[in-house]
Amino acid sequence: MKILIIIPAYNEADNIVRVTDHLITDYPQYDYVIINDGSTDRTAEICREHGYRMIDHPVNLGLAGAVRTGMKYALAHGYDAAMQYDGDGQHRPEYIASMAEEIEKGYDIAIGSRFVTEKKDGSLRMLGSRMIERFIRMTTGKTIHDPTSGMRMYNRKIIRVLAENASLTPEPDTVAYLMRCGATVSEVQVTMDERIAGESYLNLRRSIQYMATVCTSILFVGWFHDKLDLRRE
Amino acid sequence: MTVPFRIMLIAAAIFTFFFIISNIRKSKLRISDALYWFGFSTLLILLAVFPQIAFFFGELFGIISTVNLVFLVIIALLILRVFTLTLRLSVLDQKLEELAQEMALKNAEKDIGK
Repeated sequence: MKILIIIPAYNEADNIVRVTDHLITDYPQYDYVIINDGSTDRTAEICREHGYRMIDHPVNLGLAGAVRTGMKYALAHGYDAAMQYDGDGQHRPEYIASMAEEIEKGYDIAIGSRFVTEKKDGSLRMLGSRMIERFIRMTTGKTIHDPTSGMRMYNRKIIRVLAENASLTPEPDTVAYLMRCGATVSEVQVTMDERIAGESYLNLRRSIQYMATVCTSILFVGWFHDKLDLRRE
Repeated sequence: MTVPFRIMLIAAAIFTFFFIISNIRKSKLRISDALYWFGFSTLLILLAVFPQIAFFFGELFGIISTVNLVFLVIIALLILRVFTLTLRLSVLDQKLEELAQEMALKNAEKDIGK
């Protein structure tokens, strides 16, 4: 099975070498591609200096746009599975194999989940996670323990859908929508690292905005959106 | 509608009208986009010059103060425009994304192929 690791990178000059070299030396069986999303720091230069495989956005498109570029690349190059992988070193590559196993078993989406066997703590962030989990259960009847995990692997069917639909962002609402269209999801227990360098994307304002968008999208937009026919493939 | 209000309405409509024309002349605005504002300013002039129109519809819908009908019409037209603009912005965003991605992917093929 050909697996592509998509590494969206926006101003990740401090992280990109550590993350990518770790993949190249310890996990050469997986292909990777860095999507430099119009970084204003030296991310692109560093990638060229090291000879990394990189797609360079001429302008900043945001995370969703970067992931979609990766999906287009995966689709064009015939990959069987593609996964989002954080450029800031939160995701650990040792879990890729177990996620790929789930895809091989026939699941459409494999999520690297922090909470399959572990419990969520009572923090504000987890309250958000619980809320999204509840909404997904309400609308799909199924439970995703860690909907906000950015560590997701998709099979070819979903790669095509994500590459072709600009309105589908790589967020929990899209997972919920795809589940409604009949996609099957499996969760794999993983551990995630804290960010080592740089600052987190989510501040309070962004978090509230994120919650509002995702929840509204799961609850309402998903109902009106035309259903995709996933059996087409 | 009072006379000063009608005068103000006519003045605003005329100002809008000439503002649009000057922008078309400088070829800033596409004709298809300008048409909406032509219609809009014409409607303002019509409502100001012939208040009977506003009276008629005001009575029809049971609006006590006729001027509210004028506001209602203006607000409705503006909301319509804002929505169509949002729609176009969405489409434009998607097109821009497609273009940037296409360009990035093409460049990457060249680099990786080397």
